[in-house]
Amino acid sequence: MILDIQKLETGYGKLKVLLGVDLHVGKESVGLFGPNGAGKTTLINTIMGMQRPWSGTVKFDGQDIGGKSTHLVARSGIALVPQERELFPGMSVADNLELGAAWVPRAAGIEKRQLDMVVQLFPILKERLKQYVGTMSGGQQRMVAIGRALMANPLLLILDEPSLGLQPSIVAEVFERLALLKKEVAILVTEQNVRESLKAIDRGYVLENGAVALEDSAAGLAKNPHVVSAYLGI
Amino acid sequence: MALKRRATILAALSAAATILILLWKPSVINNGLQQAGLYAAIAIPMGLVLGIVHIVNLAHGEFMMVAAYATYFACRATGMDPLLAVLPAAAVTAAFGWVVFQLTIKRALKAPELNQLILTFGIAIALTQAVNILFTSQTFKLQLDYVSASIDIGEDTFPVWSYVFVAFAILYAVGLKLFLTRTTIGKAALAVGQNPKGAAIVGIDVNRVYGLVFALALALVGAMGALFLTKQSIFPSVGSPYTMKSFCLVAVAGIGNIPGILGASLLLGISEQVLRGFRDTRAWADIVFFVLIIAVILGRSIKWRKS
Ligand SMILES: Nc1ncnc2c1ncn2[C@@H]1O[C@H](COP(=O)(O)OP(=O)(O)O)[C@@H](O)[C@H]1O
Ligand SMILES: [Mg+2]
Repeated sequence: MILDIQKLETGYGKLKVLLGVDLHVGKESVGLFGPNGAGKTTLINTIMGMQRPWSGTVKFDGQDIGGKSTHLVARSGIALVPQERELFPGMSVADNLELGAAWVPRAAGIEKRQLDMVVQLFPILKERLKQYVGTMSGGQQRMVAIGRALMANPLLLILDEPSLGLQPSIVAEVFERLALLKKEVAILVTEQNVRESLKAIDRGYVLENGAVALEDSAAGLAKNPHVVSAYLGI
Repeated sequence: MALKRRATILAALSAAATILILLWKPSVINNGLQQAGLYAAIAIPMGLVLGIVHIVNLAHGEFMMVAAYATYFACRATGMDPLLAVLPAAAVTAAFGWVVFQLTIKRALKAPELNQLILTFGIAIALTQAVNILFTSQTFKLQLDYVSASIDIGEDTFPVWSYVFVAFAILYAVGLKLFLTRTTIGKAALAVGQNPKGAAIVGIDVNRVYGLVFALALALVGAMGALFLTKQSIFPSVGSPYTMKSFCLVAVAGIGNIPGILGASLLLGISEQVLRGFRDTRAWADIVFFVLIIAVILGRSIKWRKS
């Protein structure tokens, strides 16, 4: 088991957002679905140490990482593509990518290989290595953010709404690339665009009102009447 | 294109102004350059802290004052030349600043800006008053022969010692540029300045970087404390105008713009000397920086309203 979350509770001030979530990720690609405000980002921020768990456990690669600082979680092998990308706008694409690997022991010595892999996945980045990230379009910045995460040679790649704000054609492209990645790295991806993401995942959870409402294989979710009516919009 | 034209016009205007002043009173340029070097070398570390830690350190000049006092007493006790104390002063001030950062500023990083201002202002007062209690408000000065070094051109004599400040300002600007763009830790610092959340996500220990950058800035200002002592007399409140002027210069240059601090310092140093060049306006020289900052802020908000 790469990621194992049990009975996780957390929230903001008096507001409890996660009411005991159980979720696990093995060597596979896992989707996390649910309406806006369900607590997907909160769950991911708790894994990354940006939000303290109130109770329950978060285990990564056999270690309890609940409440650890974000930089330590990152160094231990989880790479995040945040909902808001969180890039370094005044630095070049090359520097942004380099920073993805510089502080993670798992990436030490293989930066070149990782960079080759990233530019192979997103050829457009190769032409723009010198460009300042702040001057790029949203779709290109999303690619830089995914590239930066992959530079870390992560054991687990987490993507929070990777299709947010992207044109439909680019969304399809991003998920195609994710489908290619799932052989190499475990993936946890949150999405509102359930239809596209079902192509890239093995298994999925539906999070509603701070708890797991449903857990099934991609094929099972695609047939589930609740998923079909609430998320696939038929 | 428009930017390039503007830069050309600006360069031509400053060249013309320089020539005019040179014809009128060459000493204004000579003194102004050296004064600008002093301002820039003190302001650059403040710009570093503001650009990366996003804290306005209102105790900046006071830290330099403390470094100058420490150097003064070390030199008096051992007979050492303050120039030899530049590196030790940098190291000691950095260590002192790191401790102050860990004990106080670190706790206010997430606080509202006003609280941060009050905190660093409080540190400034505490440092000034501590020195006042320990050493009274008496002034101290070292007598050094080399500070009166000068060159004679025609019948005029030009003092040149303070060009050492210019050398340090350039050294600081170039050194920081290389550090921030070429080294792993420097790039991490730049990343933290641009996006602390993003920096943590890639494994950078943001609080540690803040502490290191603050200590680095204090090392630079500590070295300036020792250098300052070669020329100037020191007293408890000697640092406070440098806090104000540094803040003004950093604000005029814009956050994160270290070469801009060099330019702003030139403008301030020379304008002050121009006013000092006229007998009746001598007292006005000290408010040039207020005029400068008001002009720049007005200019920026007009530009902002236009766009
Ligand atoms: N920083 C915050 N402070 C207070 N409440 C928050 C904060 N972030 C999120 N919330 C609340 O927590 C709930 C879950 O939000 P979030 O995790 O962002 O949901 P999702 O990512 O599934 O859209 C929402 O009700 C939201 O209003
Ligand atoms: Mg979200």
